[in-house]
Amino acid sequence: MAVEPTLTLSGVSYRYAAGTTPSLTAISASIDPGEFVVLAGRSGSGKSSLLRACCGLVPHFHGGEFEGSVTVGGRDTRESGPGELADVVGYVAQDPETQVVSTTVAAELELPLRFRGDRAAARARAVEEVALALNIPHLLGRTVATLSGGEMQRVALAVALVTRPPLILLDEPTSQLDPVAGDELIWLLRRLNEEWGVAVLLAEHRLERCLAAADRVIAMDGGRIAFDGPPRQFLEYAVAQDPALATPAARMFSLAGIDPLPVGVRDARATLRVRGVTPDPSAAPDADVRKTPDRNGRALNCRNLWVELDPGDGPVDVLRGIDLEIDPGETVALMGRNGAGKSTLLRAAAGLIEPVAGSVTARGGMALLTQNPGDFLVRDRVGDELSGREAEAAMAAVGLDLPPDADPRDLSGGERQRLALAIALAGRMSGEALPDLVALDEPTRGMDRGLKDGLTGLARELAGRGATVLISTHDVEFAANFADRVVLLGDGELIADAPAAEVLSGGWYFASEVARVLNLPGLTGVEAGARMLGGGSGRPAADRHGPEPAP
Amino acid sequence: MNGISPLAYVPRRATLQSAGLGPVALFLGAYLLVCFFSSDPLVLAAATTGAAIAGYGCGAARAVRFSLRLGFALAAALIVINGLVTSRGSTVLLRLGEWPILGRVDVTLEALAAGAVIGLRAIGTMVVIGVWSACVDPDRMLRAVSGVARRSALTATLISRLVPLAATDYARLGEAAGLRGPGAAPVGRAAMANRLLAGSLDRAVDVAATLELRGYGQGKDAPARDEHRARSRFDRRFLVAGVVLMAAALAALVTGTGSLTTYPTIDYSPGPLSFGIAAMFAAGGFVTWRRGGWKGRRGDGR
Repeated sequence: MAVEPTLTLSGVSYRYAAGTTPSLTAISASIDPGEFVVLAGRSGSGKSSLLRACCGLVPHFHGGEFEGSVTVGGRDTRESGPGELADVVGYVAQDPETQVVSTTVAAELELPLRFRGDRAAARARAVEEVALALNIPHLLGRTVATLSGGEMQRVALAVALVTRPPLILLDEPTSQLDPVAGDELIWLLRRLNEEWGVAVLLAEHRLERCLAAADRVIAMDGGRIAFDGPPRQFLEYAVAQDPALATPAARMFSLAGIDPLPVGVRDARATLRVRGVTPDPSAAPDADVRKTPDRNGRALNCRNLWVELDPGDGPVDVLRGIDLEIDPGETVALMGRNGAGKSTLLRAAAGLIEPVAGSVTARGGMALLTQNPGDFLVRDRVGDELSGREAEAAMAAVGLDLPPDADPRDLSGGERQRLALAIALAGRMSGEALPDLVALDEPTRGMDRGLKDGLTGLARELAGRGATVLISTHDVEFAANFADRVVLLGDGELIADAPAAEVLSGGWYFASEVARVLNLPGLTGVEAGARMLGGGSGRPAADRHGPEPAP
Repeated sequence: MNGISPLAYVPRRATLQSAGLGPVALFLGAYLLVCFFSSDPLVLAAATTGAAIAGYGCGAARAVRFSLRLGFALAAALIVINGLVTSRGSTVLLRLGEWPILGRVDVTLEALAAGAVIGLRAIGTMVVIGVWSACVDPDRMLRAVSGVARRSALTATLISRLVPLAATDYARLGEAAGLRGPGAAPVGRAAMANRLLAGSLDRAVDVAATLELRGYGQGKDAPARDEHRARSRFDRRFLVAGVVLMAAALAALVTGTGSLTTYPTIDYSPGPLSFGIAAMFAAGGFVTWRRGGWKGRRGDGR
């Protein structure tokens, strides 16, 4: 007897009430019990809409025009709303802040069970079980306001799982997490998938994190399913059809002409071993490891910088004795775990926080773009935000040419970010000269690789014009692409400050996928990696043949 | 890293936090009653002291300090305002002449004393509310009333969640406004309010969607009385203390003992009953203390 799928989509098309074009078109797919499926696609390709259709928010909550049918756990979403589907499907959104309604973690976990009418004893047991499964019993007594991003995301996952639904949907759950917390979450999902038999549908941009855990990949493009198959075939598809979706290791193998494309670091190493390919260090680019130059700290100068903040339970030292010098024209990635002090350092440099000891100066001026560019956009017309000669210079500096009547809300994510940066720069430029320091705090959250490449281009452009570009980021691949230098913070202290190639090839979590595969000092980039593997021709994967690696 | 309000609830394994809602409400209710209605400065000062001691005893020192600061600021304002707007009383300290709207302004000792009593009430009330806010789990409180007013309880839950979020959004928007370049249009109050409102509506929609996803509206809610709560050995302590203090508060209010008369001249003669009630309220604060004091542990209680 055939197993009934946990989720079935048949000819689903959907357009939001205010939408002019369909967000989903003729989607048909199914997910079997216990499958782990990754949903890939560029920003705006329909991933989030698809997840919302799977839990009933589309169309019950968002309205709009809906065609076709979605069946979850045997229930048709046209007949059952999200509330009635709560015990067959769990949903975790991108921003965990928007998913909590109670004061304490224990109350938050109990809420779905309470709504379901479970008795007190059953609720207590379910809460305890899910807390143990996700390793968060120590958080039960905490208030949600005191949780870190990673803890909050775990709690959101626990809430989605507490009713033990057969299917769980996750919309870019790692986008706000550091590499450590992100990896932990993915492997936690895999463990729950294996031990509890929960089917997982995970939308994610950073595919190098999760493909190794997946059974299958569905790729979306323009609201349609462009690919549906195993991860390895997906990589072949991505390299040939949509390289922005290919993982760094897959692109490196493709350029080096090595088959099959690897699904993760372990797979890549196994393939290299089986094929007998050993990296040729003589092909390493000279530029990857450079001597640290003498610095004068003209763009940013921190001397024994101590910053104290009170998160609610007494003051703590968030930055502890930071000594850092950055010169004009450098591109610097500021990295570290959630709570390591990255944002605090940028805010102290911008004068938003007073140090308790030491000093921080940005003598040549500084423009800071905070995590949410939308915070800079408070009016309905671009012309009301920025006008005059200084504004024109700022718009030109970020490569924007927008009509004054354009509504900032209608702009793409990348354009909104550039506009916000132009607002931060306006009046801080001397003619066409930029301030010495342009800083961006976590600008890549929720971005696909195409948008990140655009941001890298902008950063290089600004650096080319003499500004130091300092970007705090969790995204190792982005840092490897954009930065000359990486400053790594750990618990408020500076624990590494060296050329990007050196820092991002010398660890495990804060290392690019290429570095983790090849494990050679100073090597982080895809092209450099491909050259070391004896390739670089960039032949398409379809033209190549090679033996299957041993499992 | 966001700062958390000093009045925000922080779970602890201290006495007030782990005791039942009823005994705690009775205990703190007695303090609130006396702070709100008594006119006896001695009893008011003692109740304020007792409430502060209670707060310190269960780890809410930050809330107590914040409430005291707020209360003293409010009390100072009340004394000044009462001194200016009330010309009753026979001991004139200052003659400030004719003022627009207020007319002739004479500052009297009696008016200042009357303002001080109102201020003392404000300080005491603030401290009691601060201790309640920092020590009583709002989720538990709302669940307790959800049986009689389900929608109101839910609305209160959402407000208790959305208000801090709106405050965080406001702080973030203010920070972004400060980071705008001098060549960009400055953010006026109207634009800021508009943006904050739009953001709050988005937040409200997100919370509404979350509630839908959690299963709200299925009509199968667990009964409010079916509540699992970790047992507390402090229930009896707060119940006994609450009953005694409530009786003392009612006695003070009914007999009007020690009430201060301010006009036309100050007349205050506290009797033994005043001293007795004041001593009970001041000492009552120690009911929250554990032997050896509270060991400042956080996040380990349920």
